[in-house]
Amino acid sequence: RKRQLLTEIVLRNRLTALVVDADTTCRVLEQLLLRSYGVQTQGVDNGRDAVTLIASGVKFNLIIIDMILPILNGLEATRQIRDMGVHCKMLGVTACSGESERQAFLAAGVDVFIEKPLDPEHLVPILRELDG
Amino acid sequence: MWHGIDMYSLVYSFGFVPCACEHQGIVDDQFTQLRKLEDENSPHFVMEVASLFFEDCEKLINNMAIALEQKQGVDFKQIDECIHQLKGSSSSIGAMRVKNACIAFRSFSDGQNREGCLRCLQQLSHEYSLLKNKLQTLFRLEKEIVAAGGSIPRVH
Repeated sequence: RKRQLLTEIVLRNRLTALVVDADTTCRVLEQLLLRSYGVQTQGVDNGRDAVTLIASGVKFNLIIIDMILPILNGLEATRQIRDMGVHCKMLGVTACSGESERQAFLAAGVDVFIEKPLDPEHLVPILRELDG
Repeated sequence: MWHGIDMYSLVYSFGFVPCACEHQGIVDDQFTQLRKLEDENSPHFVMEVASLFFEDCEKLINNMAIALEQKQGVDFKQIDECIHQLKGSSSSIGAMRVKNACIAFRSFSDGQNREGCLRCLQQLSHEYSLLKNKLQTLFRLEKEIVAAGGSIPRVH
């Protein structure tokens, strides 16, 4: 029952999220998971497109970004997004599990490091916090 | 009986297959959590995502097989990238045994051990085939229930 309560949420505000993952299965799954909670999502499959989208002025409440990305990797994309003055919540969601990767991703600017899978127990508290 | 179809057996099997898969460690709780997200607005979400996963997984296994057959030298960096991607997607869909096979594979790839990698690839292919077979059975049962006029029991 406690587990069920942890994963239930009804958002009061319309939240938006960007999912940055090169793997189609992961990107689609993460977007579907967010949408199931009423979050409006966009997805891109590389770091450069993520930076370009943010630089164009599109705003998100949440960015979910993988570490290993083509063209521009997740670490550099995160740094560039933060350097633009973007302060939204960023989750580094990656299959990497080492402490050095975790430290590197946090140092690059993500707020939370999550080893895949992104599951409701990780996501729901964050959505609650964003929803105020 | 319903138009010659035993609806009870269909629904029973539909409930049994995922339980058996979880019990055997083929899928983990992540898969169950994903099934809970299916509703009237997205009734086939797991089947659609599983199809994407099957496509990606087969491509990655094939790429690794080709890389390991290269006479001029194995590109272990490419192997590592494939394993990493497959580890991520398999964990995201809840394919626990495929994920564990990737973790084991990683250690041989890191050690640039070609023979070990070949054995791991074989194991990975086996786990993938098992998963695909079980999930396709589940999705087939789902279609049969709907075709027979029944409704899919939702996971709570």
